Amino acid sequence: MELYISKNEKAKGKTVALDDMILTNEYPTTAGSKMLEGYMSLFNAEVVDRLKNAGYEIGGKANVGELCIDLLGETSYFGATENADGALMTASSELVKKGDALAAIGLDANGTPRRAAALNGQVCVKPTYGTVSRFGTISIACSGETVSVTANTVSAVKEILDVIAGHDDKDGTSLSEEKCALVKSSAEFSSAKKVAVARSITDSADEATKAVIAKAKAAFEAKGIAVEEVDDSVLLTAKNAWNILMSAELCNNVSRYDGVKYGYRTKNYTTIDELYTNSRTEAFGDLLKTAILFGSETLSTENYMKMYDKGLRIRRVLVEKFAEIFETYDAVLMPASTKTVYTKADTDANKYIAYDENLYTAPASITGLPVVVAGGVQLIGKAFSENVLFDLAKTLEGDGK
Amino acid sequence: MDREVLRRLEKLNQLQLTEEQKDAFLAFYGKQTEEMEILNTVDTENVERMVHVMPIFTVVREDKVIKKYSREDLQKGAPETTEGYWQVPRLVE
Repeated sequence: MELYISKNEKAKGKTVALDDMILTNEYPTTAGSKMLEGYMSLFNAEVVDRLKNAGYEIGGKANVGELCIDLLGETSYFGATENADGALMTASSELVKKGDALAAIGLDANGTPRRAAALNGQVCVKPTYGTVSRFGTISIACSGETVSVTANTVSAVKEILDVIAGHDDKDGTSLSEEKCALVKSSAEFSSAKKVAVARSITDSADEATKAVIAKAKAAFEAKGIAVEEVDDSVLLTAKNAWNILMSAELCNNVSRYDGVKYGYRTKNYTTIDELYTNSRTEAFGDLLKTAILFGSETLSTENYMKMYDKGLRIRRVLVEKFAEIFETYDAVLMPASTKTVYTKADTDANKYIAYDENLYTAPASITGLPVVVAGGVQLIGKAFSENVLFDLAKTLEGDGK
Repeated sequence: MDREVLRRLEKLNQLQLTEEQKDAFLAFYGKQTEEMEILNTVDTENVERMVHVMPIFTVVREDKVIKKYSREDLQKGAPETTEGYWQVPRLVE
């Protein structure tokens, strides 16, 4: 499987790979779906223009799982990506690992870039919601998704975040320039003194993953940073609450793919209903169909209050729980996945595995809090505390593998 | 959820599942609703819904044209067009 769906053969120098969820007017944007095979955008995503204006070259569009909601890209219409060891790995993470790109820009709608970076021993930031423009990213779960940056080092991730963070009038959820500046490396910060370990979430992982958490804990303690376990039992609700909100938002966002104005159109139709239904049925994969139907059902008259409405209330409970933790601690340490390696056998046995693995990634997705992945673990901080997390991550970088 | 509800859900979302996909979806849905019970362990009766994680509400920018695409540009990705219009099957007999 080619890592790039579209490649810029001329790229040299400071090259950034884009997950194929980021719109570009030079290369097609497929979102890993038959629905958008060959789709050309008329414009670039804001992050692409910012990178190009700052002198970076776009290496191309990296293969992604369909609409980027899967575990590690396994649902791509163009084929799953496996690394040299036969493990599933996202294409953008592999491109960075191999040195083909300085960094990769992804869309963290369901934790995929964070999961990949943790498993591949890389550094990744999911910045505070609203600090990087989502204009020109393919919408999935608008209330929680963010643009993410993956690289092999903390310094490379910071370099790219400095370029892409900032207010954008074209994104209605973009924060003020003043707020966005808080996540850049020039902002002042105090180094972390205390880190909390999310006990229940860590206990849910396997022994190898727990060992990675223990290693991170030991590394922090060696630097004089106190590390203590906290009761995080309420954070266990984030998975199911986010599964509801993400699917509900996704079901609305993908309703635009109907085979009329752009994208795939079936050849098998005589009526408009057949055109819609057969185009979507033939173009969408199993996981996406499931997510659409599930999301739609969470919004039904019968289920709205007990599912969607409940999810929105749980979101506030989670935001308040994190705020309570951050009264004492500077960051929350937790795994990014149950295991340290996934193969096709895992996703063949459970094609909905990403919904289960949200246990680890949903707490930050649903709350919009920043996360830095390094050394195979997630560090979640309060809003705009990216520099605190990067500072902690320097202790861990390179330790993941 | 029974197959009749699922059939309505498919119709609503303009999708058609195979029998195998229907079985898989019903099993998935059953698992999700079972797991969702964890949400009821948290009393949210007096908790306000949180739609936005950041305090941003109804952002409106000045209503002005900032970029204009031609009809040809906008229809470049269309599966079928005719005389400058998107073409679909006859809607009204």
